[in-house]
Amino acid sequence: MSAGAFRERLVEASAELRENRGRASLQALGVVLGVASVLGGFAINDSMRQQADRLFVRFGGLEKLRVYPNPIVKGGQPTALQTANLGLRSADAAGGEALDPAAVAGVSVRRFDRVLVKSPATVQDRQVTGIGADFIPMEGYALAAGRGFTHSELETGAPVAILGTQAADSFFPTGSPVGQTLNLRGIPVTVVGTFQYRLFRFREGAENIFSWENRIIALPAAFVQKRLQGDPNLRLDQVAFKLPRAGDLMEFSRTLTGMLRTSHRMQTDFRLDDVAARYAKADSQGRIYDLVFLLSGVLALLGGGIVNVNIQMASLKDRVREVGVKMAIGASSREIFKSFMTEALLLTVLGSLAGLAVGVLFSWLITRVLGVPLAMGLDSFVWAFLLAFGFGFAFSLFPAWKASRLSPMEALRYE
Amino acid sequence: MPLAIDAQSITKVYGSGGTAVQALRGIDLQVERGEFLALIGPSGSGKSTLMAILGCLDRPSQGSYALDGEPVEGLSGQGLARIRNARIGFVFQAYNLLAKATVVRNVELPLLYAGVPRQERRRRALALLEQVGLADQAHKLPGELSGGQKQRVSIARALANRPSILLADEPTGALDSRTGAEILELFKDLNGQGNTVILVTHDLGIAAQAHLQVEIRDGLIATRTRTRIRERP
Repeated sequence: MSAGAFRERLVEASAELRENRGRASLQALGVVLGVASVLGGFAINDSMRQQADRLFVRFGGLEKLRVYPNPIVKGGQPTALQTANLGLRSADAAGGEALDPAAVAGVSVRRFDRVLVKSPATVQDRQVTGIGADFIPMEGYALAAGRGFTHSELETGAPVAILGTQAADSFFPTGSPVGQTLNLRGIPVTVVGTFQYRLFRFREGAENIFSWENRIIALPAAFVQKRLQGDPNLRLDQVAFKLPRAGDLMEFSRTLTGMLRTSHRMQTDFRLDDVAARYAKADSQGRIYDLVFLLSGVLALLGGGIVNVNIQMASLKDRVREVGVKMAIGASSREIFKSFMTEALLLTVLGSLAGLAVGVLFSWLITRVLGVPLAMGLDSFVWAFLLAFGFGFAFSLFPAWKASRLSPMEALRYE
Repeated sequence: MPLAIDAQSITKVYGSGGTAVQALRGIDLQVERGEFLALIGPSGSGKSTLMAILGCLDRPSQGSYALDGEPVEGLSGQGLARIRNARIGFVFQAYNLLAKATVVRNVELPLLYAGVPRQERRRRALALLEQVGLADQAHKLPGELSGGQKQRVSIARALANRPSILLADEPTGALDSRTGAEILELFKDLNGQGNTVILVTHDLGIAAQAHLQVEIRDGLIATRTRTRIRERP
């Protein structure tokens, strides 16, 4: 078919549609709703997925490898080797970093203790966190006021502290905590800074998943180890390595395990994140999402398509005589088939475009109700449109074929 | 010059076996160009079936039929559609206009199927409407017109591709007698301009206006009566 003939057909089809507005808009409505629900489905999934990804990154994502002490206990008692071993130490953190300085972009350590914390306003039994140099950027904290720890404060274990918002509010309810003093087991500790408020809600109105992070009382790890715990071995509760290059994680986790086992007398008294499992989870989660939204989209279009065929078949009954007249004055079956298809496809295209607009509105409304930021990819639009076009084409074939098979004489006599 | 219609031994059987109905049982009909013929007969006589076959809306079960010298019995559906489009102009009792298309678009339709470009279509359709005296109604919907006007529109549509025969099925059946007479006059005029007209009717008064009356009874031609000598142009 030449381009001119196609244009001609398109002009005719649009004239027919204008002449039969009621039927056309009913038919288009099926497409509009189908496309809108596909796009809505895509958008909801995209939005939820992006939010899940954000949470995943906050929990370490695919670029942080965490190591925890894992005491080997038999019959309720640590084994002799376990007792002889020293557990996870600051030396392990330094050793790990030295293993592959090119791959490791940062090391974050944590050492916890529980102490009575006094301020002029209150006395509370609180967990305190000893931290290392890269802790603040790696764990997603940011300073709100004051400063971070200096290199020498971290090195020597100076009595300085940075407070999360909740800690700052409860120990110093009036005025800025920076420059004030806390008392930990009789040791005066100067507050040098405060952290910004940490917030992550999966959905609006849901609880703040990271609210506990605002309770932090951060001290240099060396201060906790030496001054509070008097531990000459400088044990740690957690070491996290940051490996920004995607491929490094697996290899590094292998060499780190080897190194740690060697320095721990071949005992595995530590535990690494299961990197492979995390990869697999990220992967399978994505695939489940993909599958779910594709399925729901196809189902929506299938529903829309069936509605569409129904409307077309119902309107075909009204059109039998019209088809008969057209055939009597010279339209061939092929002509009838083509004009039905052109009309249906034109409606599909117009309906799809309207459906995309309605879909954006749908998605916006639903994500608002869910309280998740709206995320829509260009590919969702393309897919929703292509799916609609494909289904529109497939579902137009039957009514168009049916119309083209009418016998002109019987169609003319049809009442 | 070939005959406008040359039908020989046309039979038409509906259904098969014991329930078969023989609608036409061997019709021979030759119609010269420029003829004005009335097909008459009671309902059930087979005249509608004959008209459908002459109009290429249906195929005979047996027999041969040539329109303007072109045999049509072997043609495909596509071929028959082309014949209907180019050689036959239908006028129906119920007008059969597309209700939602304007008058001029109704008249354009056969030109569309003939592949006439849009502007040419519009020009010719308007000229045809002028010819039937409806130039000023071109952009109305058929529903806004009177019965006589509607029938004029359908005549204009039938003439669109300058057909070999005009096939009119009870064209005055739905009209009052005065309007019916006007439409009949129009057919006479068209015949006078050289168009071959075949009028299907059960009204003997109308049939008498034609030059030749062919009466169908029980699927056969019962009588042929020439009431007027055809004036050769």
